[in-house]
Amino acid sequence: MGVVQGDQMVLNIGPQHPSTHGVLRLKVVTDGEIVSDITPIIGYLHRCFEKHCENSTYEQVIPYTDRCDYIASMNNNFGYVVAMEELMEIKVPERVEYIRVIMAELNRIASHLLALGTYGLDVGAFTPFLYMFRDRERILDIFELTCGARLLYNYMWIGGVSHDLPVGFVETVYNFLDYFEPKVQEYNDILTYNKIFVERTADVGVLLPEVAISFGVSGPNLRGSGVKWDIRKDEPYSIYERFDFDVPVGQGLVGTTGDCWDRFYVRVLEIIESTKVLRQALKDIPATGDVHQALPKKIRPPKGSIYRRTESPRGDLGYYIISDGSPQPYRVKMRSPAFTALSVLNEISRGWMLSDVIAVLGSLDIVLGEIDR
Amino acid sequence: MTDNQEMLIQEAVEKALQGDMEAVNNIEDRVTRSKAKAALVKAKREAAKTSAEPSSEEKSEESAAESKPVPLSLNQKIAGIIASQFPGTVDEESSSETHIQLQPAKWFDIAQYLRDDPACLFDSLQCVTGVDLGEESELEVRYNLHSMTHRHAIEIRIECARNNPKVPSVETVWHIGDWFERETYDMFGIEFEGHRDLRRILLPDDWEGWPLRKDYEVQETYHGIVVPKVKEGWE
Repeated sequence: MGVVQGDQMVLNIGPQHPSTHGVLRLKVVTDGEIVSDITPIIGYLHRCFEKHCENSTYEQVIPYTDRCDYIASMNNNFGYVVAMEELMEIKVPERVEYIRVIMAELNRIASHLLALGTYGLDVGAFTPFLYMFRDRERILDIFELTCGARLLYNYMWIGGVSHDLPVGFVETVYNFLDYFEPKVQEYNDILTYNKIFVERTADVGVLLPEVAISFGVSGPNLRGSGVKWDIRKDEPYSIYERFDFDVPVGQGLVGTTGDCWDRFYVRVLEIIESTKVLRQALKDIPATGDVHQALPKKIRPPKGSIYRRTESPRGDLGYYIISDGSPQPYRVKMRSPAFTALSVLNEISRGWMLSDVIAVLGSLDIVLGEIDR
Repeated sequence: MTDNQEMLIQEAVEKALQGDMEAVNNIEDRVTRSKAKAALVKAKREAAKTSAEPSSEEKSEESAAESKPVPLSLNQKIAGIIASQFPGTVDEESSSETHIQLQPAKWFDIAQYLRDDPACLFDSLQCVTGVDLGEESELEVRYNLHSMTHRHAIEIRIECARNNPKVPSVETVWHIGDWFERETYDMFGIEFEGHRDLRRILLPDDWEGWPLRKDYEVQETYHGIVVPKVKEGWE
């Protein structure tokens, strides 16, 4: 009996490819249509973030953090200022804490909307993308109203925020929530439970919890595998322990726990949880207060180092900051959640068809700006 | 929540407020423990509110705390465990309550032990940071470990010589070690011995020098393209 022998072929995807969410190159070894190995090649967007930090003052680092994860700039600002304030032992006013949480959760919704929309696009559903961008646009309008910028905000400062909320802000966000909350059902109808979408994503690219932890995967990707881990709950920072919200995890509703659909659906549920946090924060925010009150005159943290993690929409965003007592950081290291998420791609897409690789990659929701820094 | 649990939480919080964090950490049931931690945060905040005038009172408290024997931090405890299992590897003088300073020699075995020992169970490598300690001094690698089971975290530091930096690789202990070590190699030129695929990750393969070292000098041209200089300091 003869043996069927297949030749291996190396296929190059990227660096310019719409489904790679940025400039990412994948070297894919295929056997027919089955993928046997993937080597991600990154660094096309490397801008020496960490080197720049060493040559800037502490406050000048904040705009750079915007540009790392440009989909969720508020959360990146948040992580940095939380770490700096812990290092300098600054206590920020109540109103600032609430403003920050509101901005971070709005940005989380915007980021997840982009992730969900482009994921639909990856697997061939064009229309949901437009629905989600329509609503994301409203959040960007709110940011524009607040600080003038739509994408890169430089809004959170060490010890405060750059501008106080504009007049009528709370009503604007309430109006947005009233408009937005019913829309989640619309997304579920048009995409989440769509038969074709479920066929493409259920049971595909299953990520086991222990594999995820060993690869440092975090955030919605880890929760999609059924691990209940959210820094906002488990290592609360800022004022997150005051809010009542759930941490949704993947349950394998249409397939296996930890498949692409679970990672997708966790993000849908997180949007709902974020709206809950927003409503509570809007209710409790102090009506007045000086947002510049705690801004330090000179930013010169004491000698020492700190590693602080926060929950960005993509997962555990960590900053390792070393201070030598001068106005410039001695070293800033950013632990990027998308970097660790991409590293697991080879592990979970081996043995799948080539078209599934795109489905797996999209479900990990990577942002190349943050991977390459 | 049963009354029993509430009692337990209250007791633990009271002890923790007096500086004994272990009372909270030792609660076995995870849900109760997290509730206790939340209660502790609340209690601390209230305490901070009531003592709005810091100066005199706080100072006297601090000096009182100094005279009492300070309970060991998690880092110190783990350092003790490592020192008993692998004698001569912990540099006790440079270790502190926030980090453990290790000799590079047995790092791979220690890492495996830390991952698998039921008291440690550090199943997650959070972050690997390379540090240049200064142009005249050595390089250092810092590992932030975290345990998903016990929900605790430590920091490990390992120094290596500047002219021949070598540290054992832990990429087979934690999968993410692969990319983290490649990144540290890329930026600092630290060689991770035993790494199966140690090459640059963010920079091109033929880039010269180690950019995040303090004595780094950027190459003049790269494939005929002039490389812009990094601005020195802030004027």
